[in-house]
Amino acid sequence: MSDRTARVALTRLAEPGYARVTSLVTELGAEAVLRLLEEQRRVQGVYSDAAARMFDLDPDRELRDAAARGIRFVTPSDDEWPPALDALALADPNGDVGGVPIGLWVRGELRLDEATARAVAIVGSRTSTTYGVGVASGMAAELVQAGYCVVSGAAIGIDAAAHRGALGARGTTVAVLACGVDRVYPAQHRDLLKYVVETGLIVSELPPGCSPTRPRFLARNRVIAALAQGTVVVEAAIRSGALSTSTWAGRLSRPVMGVPGAVTSAPSEGVHELLRSGEGTLVTRASDVLELVAPAGEAMVSPRRATPTARDRLTSRDKQILDAVPVVDAAPVPSIARTSGISAVEVTDALRRLQRGGFVESNGVGWRVVRAGSA
Amino acid sequence: MSVATARTITLEGATGHLVDVQVDVAPGVVKTALVGRPDASITEARDRCRAAILNSRFDWPTTRRVTVLLSPADLPKRGSHFDLAIAVAVLVAGADPRKPPVVPADALEGVVLIGELTLDGRLRSVPGVLPMAMAAAARGARAVVVPEPQAAEAMLVPGLTVLGLRSLAQVVACLSGNEIPDAPPVALTGSGPVLTWRGEQRLADLDLADVHGMGDPRFALEVAAAGAHHLLLSGPKGAGKTTLAERLPGLLPDLTVEEALELAAIGSLAGSVLAPDAGLPFRPPFRAPHHSATRASVLGGGTGRVRPGEVSRAHRGALFLDEFPFFGADIIEALRQPLESGEITIARGEEVATFPAHTMVVLACNPCPCGDYHPADRDHRCTCTEVRRRDYRRKLSGPIVDRIDIVRNVEPVRPYELLDPTARPEPTAVVRARVARARDRQAVRYEGTPWRVNADVPGPVLRERWPLTDEGQRLVDARVLDGALTRRGGTRVHRLAWTVADLGGVDRPTARETEAALGLRTGEPLPAWVLDRPELAS
Repeated sequence: MSDRTARVALTRLAEPGYARVTSLVTELGAEAVLRLLEEQRRVQGVYSDAAARMFDLDPDRELRDAAARGIRFVTPSDDEWPPALDALALADPNGDVGGVPIGLWVRGELRLDEATARAVAIVGSRTSTTYGVGVASGMAAELVQAGYCVVSGAAIGIDAAAHRGALGARGTTVAVLACGVDRVYPAQHRDLLKYVVETGLIVSELPPGCSPTRPRFLARNRVIAALAQGTVVVEAAIRSGALSTSTWAGRLSRPVMGVPGAVTSAPSEGVHELLRSGEGTLVTRASDVLELVAPAGEAMVSPRRATPTARDRLTSRDKQILDAVPVVDAAPVPSIARTSGISAVEVTDALRRLQRGGFVESNGVGWRVVRAGSA
Repeated sequence: MSVATARTITLEGATGHLVDVQVDVAPGVVKTALVGRPDASITEARDRCRAAILNSRFDWPTTRRVTVLLSPADLPKRGSHFDLAIAVAVLVAGADPRKPPVVPADALEGVVLIGELTLDGRLRSVPGVLPMAMAAAARGARAVVVPEPQAAEAMLVPGLTVLGLRSLAQVVACLSGNEIPDAPPVALTGSGPVLTWRGEQRLADLDLADVHGMGDPRFALEVAAAGAHHLLLSGPKGAGKTTLAERLPGLLPDLTVEEALELAAIGSLAGSVLAPDAGLPFRPPFRAPHHSATRASVLGGGTGRVRPGEVSRAHRGALFLDEFPFFGADIIEALRQPLESGEITIARGEEVATFPAHTMVVLACNPCPCGDYHPADRDHRCTCTEVRRRDYRRKLSGPIVDRIDIVRNVEPVRPYELLDPTARPEPTAVVRARVARARDRQAVRYEGTPWRVNADVPGPVLRERWPLTDEGQRLVDARVLDGALTRRGGTRVHRLAWTVADLGGVDRPTARETEAALGLRTGEPLPAWVLDRPELAS
């Protein structure tokens, strides 16, 4: 039995991301782990969970069947394996879940490593708002235009919006599923997944045919975080699965980012907590994200400032004088000098300067401010 | 016979009153007197009738005193359609007792006469025949005589014999049971369109399938159509507000016979004559007056006869006011009444006309004077100063907007939305079917009440008989408590929640529907499920 077929067998035997199996595979290799499992089939304990599934294994047939349906199995020894996933070996597990995937079942034309060489995960709640959907799509569209791939989980709400934004901007998007890559879950995303697989990839730790369960979603979230260089959370309630993805990004020491909503908005509460606790960085547009995920110094964002107005460029003394010029009824120089506390000589000079700049006007007797918009 | 009575109808707004035209022909100073508060056009009837009678080869009692009384005498009467009744009554009253009567007196029993006479005795069409015929039927008339081109219109009224005739001679023959003489057809007068132009049919060709993105305002439009809720669309120029609003009529279900009659009656009052083969207008109207429209044209009024305005012509349909801040402030202000009560009263001198105006109002506006500002778009290119924007916004708020149920910001469609391969904009037919089902649910629920749609139901009744679920009500209460909603706003949310529930086929609004309703009312983001319509899942 080869490493590849052993891994196929293991994805059938163990639940995805089961840390005790994944860590053993990383340490001993897949063949050794499979052999151990077979030898100790009758031993009571954790391995007996796997033993229940052991009887009708035929990894070779499984690979053949998958290939016939355009599905391939990618292992760490393949060229296509994204090195970003290996970082999971060093990340602390979350309870039982963790470790490098034993292998990934993939559908789609692109090479997985090339597609995810520059990737950002955009995740969020299923119970989102039109605001969150708009932000997620818009951000995804801008990110793919900047040459990034958008990774998400194909769930209803923010996930789907992220995929759609990427598709609409003719970019690459990768959907990581918590079921077999041949399955359509959720059912109403048949169309969405069809287009994702046409121009991007569908990926899962689970072999074809498997159905989604709650623990599988949590394991899946770690793959999303690991495939991307950073994770953006758009709308997540306080107990949202999207936060588990961002937690994984944190464990992997990759940028965790949050898009704020209205402070009263329940679907944004989890994001706000993420930002408040300091775990995540506030981002409001794609360039903010790029600054964090791009190689250092490549996509710097200069601090946003209001564009300076002509008034901002005046010297502080000129501003002081301008503030003393009345708006409605023109005032003579001595009055302006008194109000501003600056000598009449300097005020006269300054007023001429300000007149050339179009700030004040004279009626021969006094001066007043030129009103914005009336000029 | 020296006294005779014929009957006709006078209109006060859309209300018709039966009028007795009583003619007395007696010896005395030779004179024709017209009493009973006639207006100028009825006073002129004297001359028209005299000429028409003589030119139709009948006798005018030239040597006697003719008194015409229009009773009830206290009711002001207006219009030129009294001619026929006056002329016929004069013929009966003035008949020479020695000769056989021109028209037997009992022939006038239960007959209402409507029509203007030309000097040569032909019968000309007049505005308002349909409401007059409706009033005649309601007051027990068995037959109504109308100018021939308008017979089709009068025939829309069930249970009424309609005699469409061309001349006074024909009317006389018909009433006395003689053979009806031939007469040349009388051309239709009235202010129908002279030309047909593309614009007329344009709205019928518009389909929601051509509108990409805009999931949020699309949902708002659907809810508005389903519950007849008033809608405000705000957004930068070119965002698609008009595009959306013009697709509203396609979503509205057909009118009932009763509603179509009401609408046709209003059209008749406005002077448009129903084409003979057109039948009742079953498609709900969509009226979109320009913001330069006058007060009289929008609300009703005009010189002489009070005509219904656009707000009444949109009865049972929709009135779309694009760029509504540019409409006269008094027009906007006066829309308050129809928005609240479904009718509009125009009081002028001693004349008070009430027209039905049960319409849903769709307002569209730019968020600022230059039209480029957008509160949710930090990259907007608005050049207005903050002061100008504030002045403009002040115009937007106020009593009308407070009566609007749904407030939406329309954001321009972004390029990736246009190219989204998974987007399947629903066609109008699909949405209309959903709206129709929602309307059916309302019809069942409000059976035996005066209300038809959720927007009609008064707040107290709604709370008493059709409350929200507890969780839904808690959401509303929380927003009322934190000041985001007024009490009235809370009622509007309640109505909207029912419409959202009716669209979704839910028996009673839960937190889910109430949440969407709250968003619609406050202009806040909606729950994202409104974007994923079940019909889209394949």
